[in-house]
Amino acid sequence: MLTNSFIDRPRLLISAACLLLIQSLPVFAEDAGNLYNTAFDIGVGERYFERQCSRCHGFDATGNDETGAPDLTGRLSRASSNVGIYNILKQGIPGTAMLPVAADLPDSQVWQLVAFIDSLSTDPTNVNLTGTAEAGSGLFSGKGECDSCHMVSGRGGRLGPDLSRVGERRNPDELVSDIIDPHQDVAPRWWTIKVTGADGVAREGLRMNEDSFSLRIMDDDSNLWSYPKSQIESYERLQESTMPSYAQTLTDSEVDDLVAYLFSLRKEI
Amino acid sequence: MRQLPMKQIIILLAAIGFSMPSIGQEDPFQTVITPAFSPITWERLVNAEEEPENWLMYSGTLDSQRYSQLDQINTSNVGELELQWAYQIPVIDRAETVPLVVDGIMFITEAPSNLVAVDAATGRQYWRYDHEMPDDLRICCGRNNRGVAILGETLFMSTLDAHLVAIDARTGNVLWDKEVADHEAGYSKTAAPLIVKDKVVTGIAGGEFGIRGFIDAYDAVTGELAWRTYAIPGEGEPGNDTWSGDSWKTGGAATWITGSYDAEANLIYWGTGNPGPDWNGDVRLGDNLYSDSALALNGDTGELEWYFQFTPHDVHDYDSIQVPILADIPFEGRTRKVMMWANRNAFFYTIDRETGEFLVGKPYASQTWAQGLDVNGRPIRVPGMAPTYEGIMVSPPIVGATNWYSPGYSKDTGLFYVTSFDGEQEFFKRDEDYEEGERFTGGGGRYTQPMDAFHSSIRAINPATADIEWEFPIQPRSSGGITTTAGGLLFSGSADGYFFALDAATGEELWHISLGRRVHAAPMTYSVDDKQYVTMASGNVVYTFALRD
Repeated sequence: MLTNSFIDRPRLLISAACLLLIQSLPVFAEDAGNLYNTAFDIGVGERYFERQCSRCHGFDATGNDETGAPDLTGRLSRASSNVGIYNILKQGIPGTAMLPVAADLPDSQVWQLVAFIDSLSTDPTNVNLTGTAEAGSGLFSGKGECDSCHMVSGRGGRLGPDLSRVGERRNPDELVSDIIDPHQDVAPRWWTIKVTGADGVAREGLRMNEDSFSLRIMDDDSNLWSYPKSQIESYERLQESTMPSYAQTLTDSEVDDLVAYLFSLRKEI
Repeated sequence: MRQLPMKQIIILLAAIGFSMPSIGQEDPFQTVITPAFSPITWERLVNAEEEPENWLMYSGTLDSQRYSQLDQINTSNVGELELQWAYQIPVIDRAETVPLVVDGIMFITEAPSNLVAVDAATGRQYWRYDHEMPDDLRICCGRNNRGVAILGETLFMSTLDAHLVAIDARTGNVLWDKEVADHEAGYSKTAAPLIVKDKVVTGIAGGEFGIRGFIDAYDAVTGELAWRTYAIPGEGEPGNDTWSGDSWKTGGAATWITGSYDAEANLIYWGTGNPGPDWNGDVRLGDNLYSDSALALNGDTGELEWYFQFTPHDVHDYDSIQVPILADIPFEGRTRKVMMWANRNAFFYTIDRETGEFLVGKPYASQTWAQGLDVNGRPIRVPGMAPTYEGIMVSPPIVGATNWYSPGYSKDTGLFYVTSFDGEQEFFKRDEDYEEGERFTGGGGRYTQPMDAFHSSIRAINPATADIEWEFPIQPRSSGGITTTAGGLLFSGSADGYFFALDAATGEELWHISLGRRVHAAPMTYSVDDKQYVTMASGNVVYTFALRD
């Protein structure tokens, strides 16, 4: 009990001071950051998230199309700072299913939840990479030929995801995995469909969209095709990536350079 | 009262006359010159099937078959359906509503807990009721409302703040507003009530907040509570010993979907939800009666006549929150009065509805948690499938092989229809202490594959054998309800925003239209001036179709 009081009192004081700052000087409050951001705080926030938030946002916080709850593991579309996250938690988002946290939830716990949500995305200033982005950029359009399929800032191919802001949603470890083992976690948008329609012509392309009664693909020449399923003669779905593994093509240091480049790709603020 | 000067009255009359259609001109509004409907008596509700021009309750009829005698739209002409009107719900959320239609007037519930009355032929509004809502709701899964009930000239609606509201069907005025339970303690209400004689029977939601579920009956005129039957037995009552310690007090067993009624047996049938906390059964050892069960209650007193527990000691959130469908079917050489139930746990059951005797049951969707059912219908569990701290893969996932969305049954085909889901999910267990008004779930789940890797389908099941007769694949994870008609049709909707019609006998696709947003509701059908309509909510819009004139 004594120990708890000892810990809680300064935090409450700090919290109160923080709130005063928010009310009077919001800019400085943002700069002040979250005072509840230790590993312990993040753990408490995670447990709160699992209990109160995971029903909509998922146990891994990656969101849920069904509920409309967004992925919280990358850049947040509605909050660019911890104060922004705090405000959403306290107020909810009017007109959506995002309700505020309980009004009587202590601010310290709200900030612990903020710390957990903040921890889901990788702060690039805290990352030390062995590779260099400049060398990676050269590999991207050179030896790797990545730009034959991927666009960055409007330049490149159409046969893979646009990577202009990939650093916001993938951390360096994930990027290494994407390059070495591209068949892991392939989004349905990048599956391949082989289809023969009413015209009897077999076509193969990326699965742009498929629904109960129709499907749409883009072939290697960027042609867009739409098929009613009732008129399909044959259909095959490949739930793997069209991207080759670079495990044998690039050296370890080249992969590091490429990762450094990709991780640097984010929205310029 | 201030009187209008004669000059203004003349101008007003002139303006009205100017806007009136000339005689003989085609105008959809001419059908509502006399919008007054005749009061809905209990006899009309018992015999609702005999007036298929109306849709008088959430599931169409008391047996909840969702089968309409209307056949103007049928297998030969359903391809000619055309949009008649669309009603945009002003509060952006998802529509789970099944409207009622009474003598040409449609009643549509909206998120969060609002109600609007429109002309069923045009979709244009008579009145609306906006329920005043506190800002500290405790709701698990979205701001939903699924429909109203009607008796006499009064509509009865559940609200998210756990109230039951009686509303004048002609004006939208509130007649009474009753707090069913304390919303701050985690209670809420989303389902349409069920009228039984002169009472409004209604359930409660909040199974993720450590509530103690119950089914209530209220006097339709006064709003006084007539009886309450708890879904978890109290201290000293039979079944209370199926909960370790005091866990029964926070054991969930919510009753958040509408039940059914058999007038001959005078029995109310109602499903109950998961025990709480959902995914950590360590703190509530035992079978946890009457969670995940079908309850048969006396229609006058609410006393429990029998129960059938589908998933004893559930640790996967397999609510038995499905609408019970009642029918008399041929079974092993004789006609049996049965209740049919495709459960969230992936098993289909046919049960004698007079006694609760298990007749037949089989899986109708993928599942890994049970080896099968024993002779009494009790699941034989696969060992080691309970959630763990590290996570364990189990099928069906938390959302179930089906869920609350209505199944259907056709008198013509004798088949039971359900929107089913074949999926799997990692289940996690967590330790949590109960705090009033806070979530009390003890874990959660995580998909490890994209939703598109799974499968949804409309499955037709023979209730005498529990065998699947046909299936029609649709986009995962669809959550549309099903309605069948004497026109040989099955109507439903899909996760990708289609409204479609299948041949109820064969599953052949006959018609579809893209409505653009996910379908969370069930279709219903009615007629006005001998013209049949079929209505389905998609996204935030209520669409109504009919044949080309």
